[in-house]
Amino acid sequence: MITIPYLTALTTYFSYGLLFAFGQFRDFFRKIFDWWHASNLQGYAPICLGLEDFYIRRLYLRIQDCFGRPISSAPDAWFDVVERYSNDNNKTLKRTSKITSCLNLGSYNYLGFAAADEYCTPRVIDTLNRFSPSTSSTRVDGGTTTVHTELEECVANFVGKPAAIVFGMGYVTNSAILPVLVGKGGLIISDSLNHNSIVNGARGSGATIRVFQHNTPSHLEKVLREQIAEGQPRTHRPWKKIIVIVEGIYSMEGELCKLPEIVAICKKYKAYVYLDEAHSIGAVGKTGRGVCELLGVDPADVDIMMGTFTKSFGSCGGYIAASKEVIQYLKYTCPAHLYATSISPPAAQQIISSIAVILGEDGSSRGAQKLARIRENSNFFRSELQKMGFEVLGDHDSPVMPIMLYNPAKIPAFSRECLRQNVAVVTVAFPATPLLLARARICISASHTKEDLLKALERLEEAVGFDYFQISSENRGML
Amino acid sequence: MANLYVKAVPPADLNRNTEWFMYPGVWTTYILILFFSWLLVLSIFGCSPGMAWTFVNLAHFCITYHFFHWKKGTPFAEDQGIYNRLTWWEQIDNGQQLTRNRKFLTVVPVVLYLIASHTTDYQHPMLFFNTLAVIVLVVAKFPNMHKVRIFGINADK
Repeated sequence: MITIPYLTALTTYFSYGLLFAFGQFRDFFRKIFDWWHASNLQGYAPICLGLEDFYIRRLYLRIQDCFGRPISSAPDAWFDVVERYSNDNNKTLKRTSKITSCLNLGSYNYLGFAAADEYCTPRVIDTLNRFSPSTSSTRVDGGTTTVHTELEECVANFVGKPAAIVFGMGYVTNSAILPVLVGKGGLIISDSLNHNSIVNGARGSGATIRVFQHNTPSHLEKVLREQIAEGQPRTHRPWKKIIVIVEGIYSMEGELCKLPEIVAICKKYKAYVYLDEAHSIGAVGKTGRGVCELLGVDPADVDIMMGTFTKSFGSCGGYIAASKEVIQYLKYTCPAHLYATSISPPAAQQIISSIAVILGEDGSSRGAQKLARIRENSNFFRSELQKMGFEVLGDHDSPVMPIMLYNPAKIPAFSRECLRQNVAVVTVAFPATPLLLARARICISASHTKEDLLKALERLEEAVGFDYFQISSENRGML
Repeated sequence: MANLYVKAVPPADLNRNTEWFMYPGVWTTYILILFFSWLLVLSIFGCSPGMAWTFVNLAHFCITYHFFHWKKGTPFAEDQGIYNRLTWWEQIDNGQQLTRNRKFLTVVPVVLYLIASHTTDYQHPMLFFNTLAVIVLVVAKFPNMHKVRIFGINADK
């Protein structure tokens, strides 16, 4: 729940209304001008129907330079951003060969494995030389190497489940697994702020989908009771199975899931729990084992644990960890396992090595240091931002901290000013977030040193100036 | 000034085109826009207050009819066109009829009509146009008109 100052809500609606009105005016005149020039469709149907691309053409393209900035180095704490320019008011952007070195506050580089690492990189290069970059085959044909089996064991041990299966892409893990786990006649209850991959997978499964209010276990219970009582639509037969899907850390809010309550409710109503730990695995918990460790939930209580390797492990791909029977079943049925090329061996080795570092198996305490550092960094940065007057979301200990911007004009202003100060941030707006709640999302990494964070705070303050942002109610006394 | 804080619990409305209408502050913004556009019309044209209200009423009619009851679908492609046959009015509140938002939106044209006709002293021809506007808008918002296309106007091919 986010408290917005009333005046800000009004001005945000008004700004969006103005942008919408201008967009409509321009479309209207564009239609008149195009009337004069004959259309060159030659009988084919137009690609976009009517209004479908209105948002992209009239709102997104205006501030396109704030999104999709190309980088030309590894996404470490400092990285190189390529400069771009536009001759036609941001409709097309051209790259230059100039680069600026910026402080990286946007990459999901939670433990600092995204750049070269003294333990992981030599082993990855070794595997690259031994196995070559691609297996050129699916897992069932010829794509399962010793690295793959070692990886699956390693992941299963790390997460605390009997078995695991690994895929080459994180997004695909969700969208290809859900249709296999539940089909027509089943029920999926998903958190209202779940990631697009889960939404896609749920839609592709053919099961009935119901949404419960974000992170509200009481509403989940209400939805469960209602749905179990009603049964399937129209026939009212009992559901074949019920799966509740939640995420460990929600990437747009930075808050942790209320896992103990949700697991208790699911046990009571005999529903399965599917936990997507994309952002929390490796980043939270005393030994980095994710949200279960942090909140004291037994991994055996969560039926299916899913995660990705792109955030804390500096690699690519995703995994599913569950009981031996479920993983065996997935290996026979999941299309991402049967038909998609297996994960690249050097990428798999990166994961194995980074897990070894996290667990301290490489003989040093770097893993524990990284985990402690990311916790300290996140808490320090969050409290400093709040002291500066920003409204920061997210729970204590979470490395993701969105700063609320609200007004659509602040999104490009914040982004461009920060870039001018050599700080690279990621800004998110409608439709990825609700209309009123545009935000800039900051991801802290273990490779940020204290000096980096202090510099970031200094530059952020210079970029926005103190009066530019609404002061939250606690700091009102300072003005 | 902004001592008032409103809690914004994100509602579970999956349609991005209409979920923004469920947050607090929309009604006030709508009313303020109408009021300020009346002031704008008065300052630009220098006409009588009644004529300005008539102008605002008719402009409101054109704009809201076009965007609420004529344009169909959503301005983005991510929902894969599931709302392509529904106008915005039919999409809000997930298609439920007689919710608070719908009642509010039905009352606004009526109140505008009353103000416009009162301030023009019920003279013709303003009264005729105002009445036409309010009849069309209110009838379009009846629950019985949900998904109805009269004479196939604005129906899909």
